[in-house]
Amino acid sequence: MHEKQQRRARTRRRAERRNAVREARRGRGTLAVLTTSALALIPGLAERATAQSQENGWSLQYGYSMYSEGSIAASKVSAGSRQRYDIDTHQFRLDAPIGSHISLGFDVAYEKMTGASPWLIEPNLAGDPVVVMTGASIVDARTDFLGSVTFVGEKSRTSLTGGASLEDDYTSINFGFGREKDFNEKASTFSWGVSFSTDESDPRATSFTPSPVKHKKKSGSFSMGLGQVIDRVSVAQTSIVLLYADGFLADPYKLVSSGGVNLVDRRPGTRTQVAWLTRYRRHIERAHGSFHADYQLNWDTWGLLANTVELGWHQELFRLFTLAPSVRYYSQSSADFYAPYFAAGLTAAQDASSDYRLSPYGAIAFKLRADVNVAELIKLPHARIGLQYEHYQSGGEFALSKVGTENPALVDFSVMMVTLKTGF
Amino acid sequence: MQGLKLALLLAACAGASACQHVEPWERNLLARPDMAWEVDDLAATQENHTYFSKEAAMPGGGVGGGGCGCN
Repeated sequence: MHEKQQRRARTRRRAERRNAVREARRGRGTLAVLTTSALALIPGLAERATAQSQENGWSLQYGYSMYSEGSIAASKVSAGSRQRYDIDTHQFRLDAPIGSHISLGFDVAYEKMTGASPWLIEPNLAGDPVVVMTGASIVDARTDFLGSVTFVGEKSRTSLTGGASLEDDYTSINFGFGREKDFNEKASTFSWGVSFSTDESDPRATSFTPSPVKHKKKSGSFSMGLGQVIDRVSVAQTSIVLLYADGFLADPYKLVSSGGVNLVDRRPGTRTQVAWLTRYRRHIERAHGSFHADYQLNWDTWGLLANTVELGWHQELFRLFTLAPSVRYYSQSSADFYAPYFAAGLTAAQDASSDYRLSPYGAIAFKLRADVNVAELIKLPHARIGLQYEHYQSGGEFALSKVGTENPALVDFSVMMVTLKTGF
Repeated sequence: MQGLKLALLLAACAGASACQHVEPWERNLLARPDMAWEVDDLAATQENHTYFSKEAAMPGGGVGGGGCGCN
């Protein structure tokens, strides 16, 4: 009798192990849902974890996006081109399982940017801030590489990543480590990770800074999160990230105006940022659709406080399509050292920036996404085509708190994206 | 503060129905593609990089790829 029980227990354990490995490889069940949770917080690990959790064997993805900023109003510009940035991006991703416990990943992204950028903000005769734009002749390119290896255990995943981002005037190298552990019969997943990056900027000469110098920056992050199955149709995840940066954190291509005198953009040499992200997913069986809700709170030592809320509905249609409208709301306060322009007397040693990204504003974005499952049609596993359009509009009127003087360089943009994915 | 209240409300709502025991074979709906945190990881990467370049906050709780974002 005792032997029989032991045999049964051994058989059950073997079956559980087989199922766990199969589940991990196929990316099904709770594991697939939760694997992406807290690793999504770590630079570099986010994309990797998502891909690895959802694939069945090898997979290849390609994405192309067209980003286009709206022209800036003539009344807000005092000089330079009104034609802002256009960016074309190509992304490739390959995931390759090696045996049943190791998965390799490789990402490459290439983007090409053209257009004009805000350079300086100064008061016009009426005292209203207006932008001096650069010429529209800026042409820049960025190439991003990321490699990863993930070790898959029965109830845990451990990932190592390394990557680099290369531009003519900017180089960034990053490393990351992340670990996930399932417990509570895989209904809960605890994740944590660390990352480190070292950046060097080698700015191009401009008419204002004909002999620019090189700058360095180092940053490190720590994150942890908890994903939880709430019931058979809903899951939630909450996580926190701490990011510390030290070095040159200013924008070498921006100036500030102080009583008619132009000075370079200058910011504190350190910055600590904290982000708290909470996500919720609920499937509504009767509607064949799923509700998505994300909220993020950001705080940093520059005095910035930001809130982001995104709500979406993913509707399945005819078992072939998913149509997903969503809306994203964002609002931020200003940095302590921000002003659209400064009174006379600012010295080159004082922190000061007129960058619109440090100004108080809010933004609302509408997105529409369609996913078409073509796996049956072309006989390739997981084959899928995704189309997405986003329109983003920002302004002082969208901010949670009243904005006294809106930064005239605030940007509106639209993005059209197509992604192709297949397993093999 | 309004955003913070919304987050707490969401967390409370999630907690209210908190954590029924769900057997592994009852989790098929949770494994649907439209229940993923990101339904398209390439698109999410690109979105986060755009927000990283245009906003002061860390998008998606992390940095959406490297780069200066100086434009």
